[in-house]
Amino acid sequence: MTTLVDVQDLEKNFPLSGGGHYLALKGIDLQIHQGEFISLIGHSGCGKSTLLNMIAGLDLPTAGAVLVDGETVKRPGPDKMVVFQNYSLLPWLTVQENIGLAVDEVMPDLSAAERDAVVQEHIQMVGLGHAGHKLPKELSGGMRQRVAIARALAIKPKLMLLDEPFGALDALTRGNLQEKLMQICNEHQLTAVMVTHDVDEAVLLSDRIVMLTNGPGSRIGGLLEVDIPRPRQRMTVVHHPSYYSLRSEIIYFLNRQKRVKQWQAKPHKVLARHGLEKVNLDIGFVPLAACAPLAIAEAKGFFRKHGLDEVHLVRETSWRGVTDGFLDRTLDAALMPSGMPTWMTAGGHGSEPLPILTPLTISRNGNEVTLARRLADAGVRTVDDYREWLRSHNREPHTLGIVHPASMHNLLLRYWLAASSIDPDQDVHLQTLPPAQMLADLKDGSIDGFCVGEPWNFRASREGHGIPIVGDLEIWNGHPGKVLGVREDWALAYPNTTIALTKALLEACQFCADPAHWTEMGELLSDRRYLGMKKELIHFSAAPGRTTEGGEFAPHGEPHHLFFGPGVNRPSRTEHLWIMTQLARWSEIPFPRNYVEILERICSVSVFSTAARELGLEDVSYQRGAIELFDGIPFAGEDPIGYLNAVSVHRDFSVAEIPLAPPRPLSA
Amino acid sequence: MSISLSPPSVPPVLLRFEQLGKTYDTPRGPYPVLENINLEVCRGEFICVIGHSGCGKSTLLNMVSGFATPSHGRVLLDGSPIERPGPDRMVVFQGYALLPWLTAYENVQLAVDSVKQDLTVHERHEIVKEHLELVGLTTAADKRITQISGGMKQRVAIARALAIRPEVLILDEPFGALDAITKEELQEELLKIWNTQKCTVLMITHDIDEALFLADRLVMMTNGPAAGIGEVLSIDFPRPRSREDLMEDPLYYELRNRALDFLYNRFAHDEDEKA
Repeated sequence: MTTLVDVQDLEKNFPLSGGGHYLALKGIDLQIHQGEFISLIGHSGCGKSTLLNMIAGLDLPTAGAVLVDGETVKRPGPDKMVVFQNYSLLPWLTVQENIGLAVDEVMPDLSAAERDAVVQEHIQMVGLGHAGHKLPKELSGGMRQRVAIARALAIKPKLMLLDEPFGALDALTRGNLQEKLMQICNEHQLTAVMVTHDVDEAVLLSDRIVMLTNGPGSRIGGLLEVDIPRPRQRMTVVHHPSYYSLRSEIIYFLNRQKRVKQWQAKPHKVLARHGLEKVNLDIGFVPLAACAPLAIAEAKGFFRKHGLDEVHLVRETSWRGVTDGFLDRTLDAALMPSGMPTWMTAGGHGSEPLPILTPLTISRNGNEVTLARRLADAGVRTVDDYREWLRSHNREPHTLGIVHPASMHNLLLRYWLAASSIDPDQDVHLQTLPPAQMLADLKDGSIDGFCVGEPWNFRASREGHGIPIVGDLEIWNGHPGKVLGVREDWALAYPNTTIALTKALLEACQFCADPAHWTEMGELLSDRRYLGMKKELIHFSAAPGRTTEGGEFAPHGEPHHLFFGPGVNRPSRTEHLWIMTQLARWSEIPFPRNYVEILERICSVSVFSTAARELGLEDVSYQRGAIELFDGIPFAGEDPIGYLNAVSVHRDFSVAEIPLAPPRPLSA
Repeated sequence: MSISLSPPSVPPVLLRFEQLGKTYDTPRGPYPVLENINLEVCRGEFICVIGHSGCGKSTLLNMVSGFATPSHGRVLLDGSPIERPGPDRMVVFQGYALLPWLTAYENVQLAVDSVKQDLTVHERHEIVKEHLELVGLTTAADKRITQISGGMKQRVAIARALAIRPEVLILDEPFGALDAITKEELQEELLKIWNTQKCTVLMITHDIDEALFLADRLVMMTNGPAAGIGEVLSIDFPRPRSREDLMEDPLYYELRNRALDFLYNRFAHDEDEKA
């Protein structure tokens, strides 16, 4: 692929009328390939039009450069045509005269007849053959924009730049024009950059979506690849499993930008009280049954009891929100998947490694693999059936949903598939999806199944869309599910708060493990502050092997949560090492050469021990033995690399030193 | 044997569309815009109407506001046929329809003064003030329409409509011209107001997500000529609603896909076919 547009370390400063400058864009690097369709999306004022104008040559960067075909852009020209939201047609000229004006100007070497042919060709292309003699005022907004597009294309630009081209049109007219533009782009292999704030438009049209952060100093906050095959049609796009996942990722990004702005607008003081360094905490969670101890600690006053007067639980819609909350420090602590401390400490999130520690395992188990009803109806009841089914249906894309790469769902599902000779990357496709959407996708047939925490498996089964095929009890009974995570520098700055938080949640875990409290917990969690669903769908159960009446759900034993008990809550280095091997096995992170150091920093056993001792719960802190999963292969942790070399579905994994700065407390 | 005679807990019907049709006379002969519209709207319901341009959505609501009269059938409000406009049915347009030389306060006042003539000056002043406050315009009350943003203009138009305390609030694509963030804010405010005032809302929209967030039912229109109601989608999300909750509900994706399918597949509309 040849690079057509190369944006290099671009910066744009606008002088302000009262002196000083406004930094609109900073450090923008972007390569656009020949034939690519790129969207720029972001909130108003994020500089997306400024960036487009600099590619067009309508404005010049303060620093850095834009190269088109290897040459620095210094002025606008017919090789870079811009289509504006307001059409910019000459109102006293007809459709063909408007287009003809551009063609005459740019193609003076052609004969009049040839130029006229170019004009007619492009009028036809946008479907306006019947309207060539009309004036703009006689046309609808959608038709006027077609004229503007035809005019831009008629002079055969290298690059088409569109600044919110459909922003002034109603949503449905917009939809029709989007399809037309998509068709033209496909047929003519156009390279295009489009500014938009319409999420659906961006997903439908683009090969890649550039998401810009809020100004001042906007930068590229995320770059999404739209892996939906072309030619595209709106309804097939909507049913592609990536569609809602991309859509929710963009909406998440835009909401996050909004939230950060609101957060920054408020003062954030550290309140120290009762000998604790900080008593006002924002604690993140994702609505799953495993968040019960957090909800209980809030409702039953365990936070307050341990001096944490002002705890605010922040409901995130995805684990991504937790990661971002740690990166930009809008969260103090969070419930997180047990793989996330290792994943972030090793830089799995794609930027600088950020040391995260965990002083407490909050829940174990609670996960299940569910397959779509249609598979069960076709006779798929076991993993062996599924393998056979995959072999006999090898033309379909087989997608399974997971919630996060660092979650136990991903690791257990992959382990289980691989142990059953199904390659989790080649035989199936694992896609990160929000749980609610998994259920919708399962129902409409765009995914084969998912591995997720409760109550989503129960719900899929209850609503008749899926059948649980295997429970985590059968893969690894007692695996760590969710943990309490904090930034290492945060824990070092607020050591007494870290202990108090661990105590409050350990007490809440103890409360949650008592069957006498399960009805109350289900009722509490059904509240919209937590899960926001019917309480009948949220349930906690006693022991493995117990089958729900009716026998439909969990023939493999219910995915019961363990919240408390001997060896349940103490962070285990062996377990986190196993997680590390699996994350490396599937290339989420390199295997850290300095894994001993990393484990030491992740597992805050001393905080746990102090908390347990101060609560008088010494007996809960005994050591767990070697790990053994369902295939009988033990993992004791002496030789992680040897273990990785011995696994089935073996991949080349990398081993690398993860450079971590020495532990240092957060500076205010 | 005993039969329970307790009334069913269905809210009473406020608006009834009966075999409604509208035909315009054109130089090329009669042009049927709408045909065979049958619909019952309950008191306090929030209804959104969606359809491609030219499907007669505005014509339909114009026969509720009384700006247009039916060619066939009728629309009943509380059992009586609608024949002319009246203060019991207020309309908010996309283009605001405010008087630009007046202030926000004066625009609302004008409506209140002409409808509530039996009230004292002070009482009327209180009504204007209360409704400007409802839409968050207390501090901008004395600004001229030309001095305020599009979002604020639409707030004035909503305050003016509500100040009359209409039974039916008719909104003709009220947020179509606003940017995404302002639009979301106004949708949230509209829901809050609807919740406190308990009026019945009929709203035209082109935006499926807007309809899913706001409405109890979504009326999806087929394409003209002779457009009709193709399907009515019940939107049973609990209230009060939040966008985040909706995005977490599998039903959201199901309803959204159903509406998309209706509009872009079953009743797709191609501008090229026109003219």
